[in-house]
Amino acid sequence: MAGIGFALRRLARRDDLLGVLQGYAHSAFITSGPWMFTILALAGITLFGRDLVEMEQLTQFRVVVIYNFCFSVVLTGPLVMVATRYLADAIYAKEVEAAPGMLLATLGLAYAIAGLTAGPFYPLFSGLPLPVMLGGLANFFLVCGIWVVSIFLSALKDYLAVTVAFGVGMAVGMAATLLLGDRHGAAGMVWGFSSGLAVIQFGLIARVLAEYPYPVGRLFDFLSYFRRYWDLALIGLFANAAVWTDKWIMWFAPEREIVSGAMTIYSAYDGAMFVAYLTTLPALTLFTVNIETRFFEHYQGFYRDIQKHATFDQIARNHRAIIAALLDSSRNLVILQGAVCAVCIFLAPMIVGAIGLQYQQIGMFRFGVLGAFFQVMFLFCTVILAYFDLRARNLTAQLVYLAANGGFTLLFSRLGFPWYGYGYFLGSLVAFAVAYLMVADAVRRLPYFAFVANNPSVR
Amino acid sequence: MSLSSPGASLPEAPHAPKADVCLLMEGSYPYVAGGVSTWTHDLIRSHADLTFHVVALVADRGARRLAYELPPNVTGLTHVYLQDPPAGWRWQPGTARLVAALEAPLGRLQQGGGLAEVAEVLRLLAPRRGRVGKRALLNSEDAFQMVVRMCRAALPDASFLEYFWGSRALMSGLFATLLVPMPQAGVYHAVSTGYAGLFAARARLETGRPALLTEHGIYTNERRIEILMAEWLFEGGDTSLVLDRKKRDLRDLWLDTFASYSKACYDACDRIITLYGGNQEFQRRQGADPAKLMIVPNGIDYAGYSQVRRDPEPRPPTIALIGRVVPIKDVKTYIRAAAILREDIPGLKAMILGPLEEDPGYVEECRTIVAHLGLEQTVVFAGRVKLTDWLGRVDAIALTSVSEAQPLVILEAGASGVPTVATDVGSCAELLLGRPDEDPPLGPGGAVTPLASPLDTARELRALLLDRPWRERCAQAIARRVAQSYDKVAIDRIYRAIYDEHIAMPTRPTLEQPGFHPSGAA
Repeated sequence: MAGIGFALRRLARRDDLLGVLQGYAHSAFITSGPWMFTILALAGITLFGRDLVEMEQLTQFRVVVIYNFCFSVVLTGPLVMVATRYLADAIYAKEVEAAPGMLLATLGLAYAIAGLTAGPFYPLFSGLPLPVMLGGLANFFLVCGIWVVSIFLSALKDYLAVTVAFGVGMAVGMAATLLLGDRHGAAGMVWGFSSGLAVIQFGLIARVLAEYPYPVGRLFDFLSYFRRYWDLALIGLFANAAVWTDKWIMWFAPEREIVSGAMTIYSAYDGAMFVAYLTTLPALTLFTVNIETRFFEHYQGFYRDIQKHATFDQIARNHRAIIAALLDSSRNLVILQGAVCAVCIFLAPMIVGAIGLQYQQIGMFRFGVLGAFFQVMFLFCTVILAYFDLRARNLTAQLVYLAANGGFTLLFSRLGFPWYGYGYFLGSLVAFAVAYLMVADAVRRLPYFAFVANNPSVR
Repeated sequence: MSLSSPGASLPEAPHAPKADVCLLMEGSYPYVAGGVSTWTHDLIRSHADLTFHVVALVADRGARRLAYELPPNVTGLTHVYLQDPPAGWRWQPGTARLVAALEAPLGRLQQGGGLAEVAEVLRLLAPRRGRVGKRALLNSEDAFQMVVRMCRAALPDASFLEYFWGSRALMSGLFATLLVPMPQAGVYHAVSTGYAGLFAARARLETGRPALLTEHGIYTNERRIEILMAEWLFEGGDTSLVLDRKKRDLRDLWLDTFASYSKACYDACDRIITLYGGNQEFQRRQGADPAKLMIVPNGIDYAGYSQVRRDPEPRPPTIALIGRVVPIKDVKTYIRAAAILREDIPGLKAMILGPLEEDPGYVEECRTIVAHLGLEQTVVFAGRVKLTDWLGRVDAIALTSVSEAQPLVILEAGASGVPTVATDVGSCAELLLGRPDEDPPLGPGGAVTPLASPLDTARELRALLLDRPWRERCAQAIARRVAQSYDKVAIDRIYRAIYDEHIAMPTRPTLEQPGFHPSGAA
């Protein structure tokens, strides 16, 4: 009689619980990394380039860079998220032989995406002069490449290599932009900036290949993850689109500039928002440190002790420790970011003047600072959701942000100039509130989620 | 007829017609071949004028092939997926209340409850049948919190991970058994306790029809061995020797739960049948009412085997071990006994009649021992043979098994007039020496020896081979005993009488009706 043998065997196959650890969500940082990088690159060039080239040339360069950064990050988002998950699982399982092949495959796919999107757009719709147009096209491929190569380094947690590559690349790019821009205008700037991006991209590729010295093979193994983690792919798409959606809508405001062909932009709004987002840098840093140290320790302890046969009381204690760590960190973050936010709102006129923005941008800047406050809090919530691998909730949060940011921005852009930026602020606030409720609920019920609701071996 | 399709074409409850007998089979018939399955198959075919509904309790919905072609009088086949109970609705009002009400009886079932608890659980589930299932009872947050409370109350020091999976597996089986649609039948017949026994208890409570139990092996004992052997699983707990354990641990969760199910089954069943007296002691200890206990051994085709004629050709003295060459049969002791025996009987032939495929490594070890002892001319591995061709040319049978229930070879050889020397396991002693209540006593049909004792086995075989009058007395005794107590025709009549009696019984009040009493008595 085959009695409970099957039940006992099943009992032995219980390591799925640990699978939650693989949900390991560095991918979440990818949504803030490129964003910050974009802003810093633009800020630097605008700051130094202002006096070198004519306004029209600078605007042409800016529109190319902004378009390239935002559309590449949205279009490669699904690829980046799914490939990150595949790589994280492979690293967790200590089976990284497929990494070099996967690098080439993701690069190939990223270039294919670039070719299929920017390929027709630049020649057909941009209306840019040929050298600028070609430069913009090359630039788009490079940016797409950087996003996907960054996966490999963020999964490795090789922050130093990333920092060095970006630092050196941006320095080269900055110098080349100014040098070539001086002589060849917008085309020179685009090509110069691209040379810096090329340094970053190929530097990162070299670093990855050095890290994974395996023969190239099993190129498209990771594609199977698209079926399994389609929700991650959508998260990658919506998260990036949500961040940009208010800018896209404002590019249709009456005050927008038509730079060339179909390329329109509203620099005053974008600039105010970019600077506003810079106010989150201290909070981002603090959060990253907190997550990497205190939270991650408790998080790991929670799952590790379960595997090590903890009693329920021990599990409950670890659960309380996670909650305490999260509350502690979020209190510090709110205080820090709140203070930064308050100072910036009070001193908005001075800040705007000091960094060379125009005084009409003060209102937008203030809304931007408030919006950035909630956007960064929203980001933290989604990072926590990603850590617990609560993909359905994460996807919902991103969709809410996309809809709220888009909807409110659309609504308030109709109300006229004084309301510009209010939509972004309100959208971020609503998205944060929703994400916060989802995180708080999930963390409160963590044991239930870990054992039942989010446990793949419980069907 | 293909072996995989007919099972699928049979109707499941509640669409199957009402059968005379509903057989409850856990992990055996009709998908897994083996002793119990073959017995069941014969039982169904022997009562061709009765209709049968088979409830197959299996692990999950994985594809499986029939090991037996179902006879035409099987009119329905219902599956219970023990690890995958019906899903039920995700949201429904009152889940929290239901789970809260279930907590107490479920907790008691994990610590030696019985029929009253099963009745209580059924009463709670009944109004929600069809809607309630795995989602509410296992996967809801209320259910999880219940598991947490039960763990903290019963085993606060246990690994929660193991408690979680353990209680989940146990509750999956419980709910799967209690929620599947009930086939209609005149009598319900469980062929083991465990979940099959639990189903019998449920049938008795829900339909008011009588329930029977035939236990071949003692389920709770087999589970105990399985669970103790799976000790590596319970690595969080106390892994010291079983005798030293003081605190209740996760193994007790399993053992006590199965003991509860057995108790519920014993209490619900009208007859508790087993193959031989030794098992009844276990049943009594598990709380079975002695008044319900009954022994019905397995029968053999006496008419056929008694036709086997002694081969008159001159031949050397011949002994045989009939069975698969596997460790549980302890063939090595048989070979060593043959070596001792050859000292006195140089021309001895020691046959090994049975398939060699199951454990090639063990066969190899046996051959090595044969070579070591220089027995190449004595011991013959004949492989699978037709038994009736051989019994006429064998003087005595040896059975050195370390475990048996009721070995049919003793009866088959006995019917053809061949005595047996067997180890004292299962019902061997009862078969060879007679039950205490045998009237008149027929005398020994061979001899019983201790486990793993080549010397004793050789001594008793020598007596049978060299002492002709003794051998003939034993042969006569065993042949008469088989004719009297183990003739399949007679055994079939006993089961037929039991079936007829219970099918004719009036339906008793069910769980929902006045006058209901949870113990088996009406």
